[in-house]
Amino acid sequence: MATFDREDAAKLARHLHSHLPSDPALRTKTLESLLVERGFVAPETIDAWVEAYSEHIGPKRGAQVVARSWVDPAFRARLMDDATAAIAEFGFDGDATGHLKAVENTDTQHHLIVCTLCSCYPFSLLGMSPAWYKSAAYRARAVREPRQVLSEFGVDLPETVGVRVWDSTAELRYLVVPQRPANTDGWDEARLAALVTRNAMIGTARHLKTEAA
Amino acid sequence: MDSIHDLGGKQGFGPVTVTEDEPAFPEAWEGRAYGLVQSVGDPGSTIDWFRHIVELMPPAAYLTEPYFQKWQYVQIIELIQAGKLSMDEVLSGQASKPGDPASKRSLEKVLAIIHDKNHSFERKIDAGPAFVLNQWVRTKRHMTEGHTRLPAYARDSLGDVIAHHGSHALPDAGARGEDVGEHLYTVRFTAAELWGDEANPNDDVTLDLWESYLVPA
Repeated sequence: MATFDREDAAKLARHLHSHLPSDPALRTKTLESLLVERGFVAPETIDAWVEAYSEHIGPKRGAQVVARSWVDPAFRARLMDDATAAIAEFGFDGDATGHLKAVENTDTQHHLIVCTLCSCYPFSLLGMSPAWYKSAAYRARAVREPRQVLSEFGVDLPETVGVRVWDSTAELRYLVVPQRPANTDGWDEARLAALVTRNAMIGTARHLKTEAA
Repeated sequence: MDSIHDLGGKQGFGPVTVTEDEPAFPEAWEGRAYGLVQSVGDPGSTIDWFRHIVELMPPAAYLTEPYFQKWQYVQIIELIQAGKLSMDEVLSGQASKPGDPASKRSLEKVLAIIHDKNHSFERKIDAGPAFVLNQWVRTKRHMTEGHTRLPAYARDSLGDVIAHHGSHALPDAGARGEDVGEHLYTVRFTAAELWGDEANPNDDVTLDLWESYLVPA
């Protein structure tokens, strides 16, 4: 059972910091071998977890949700009202999406998602988070100088477009719904979904490109 | 707690290393580490205790360890504290006593586990909410040795309530193994309130904050 003993946990963390080998690959291999030998896990189970997030769960899920919100006003209303229930229509609800909120960009408002305290992320909808989202630089700067951070992603916002930064401090998770690009009238959902990038759904991209579609 | 994890507003990190697209696990060990954490843990733990263990890492380790190594620290510490592993085993890699091979989980089973992790953190309580929509509130100083989800950059700041989410499990208690419901709000702060004169007047920051972090303004 968990002890919730914080002094002891801090002491153990210091000991690990002093004694673990520096190479993360070696550490992980050693730990996996140990946990397999102790009978706590089978290597094939780890394979399955890797495959789940490498092949089956990723930002294409979120892109499908965004594309449907563009073509189906009733779905859009459900998404904005209760995003957890709306993504369940696709079967995309799961890890870290029990309290999902969708926020829509407009001509005058841009949304940006961060977790300054750890790296909270809606895994079952967007898959594993990108390295930049977990970086100290992004977590530190997104709340304080969002416009500079956005410009590093190639997004240069006019002063008149407001930026709202959502710091994920509770179990709510956020999905940015980017604006539908112009000149996509008549496109079907699948073609539209192909335009929606992971970064756009976190808010570090704004204008989706149509030429590659 | 005022540890290095509380990064919001800290300066000196330089530009963000931007990627447009990358695999789920850019390095192979990351996938193995992630799968291990998902597969072997302490069922008596809480998400808040998990996060608090990360916060208890030495600052130098916190800033340099890759993300899934932080998770691996937690996994090791939880397993040691639960009496399932010893520090000697972790550092030597030698099992004290071999066990029977664990049963294998299929991809379908893993996908079902991920789907079932659609947890609600809502907790029904009798008390009504202390604050209403559009009300001005001030965050407390709220400094604690323990776990909390009010970042330092938003302490003692004035904001307005833009959403009430009912009552959710309070992380400060969850990190002690206690399950306590408390009303949760989304509070909006102008960028100028948080960052002063340099902020753009059109910008704001929202945080999801529990009732005990707030007082009426």
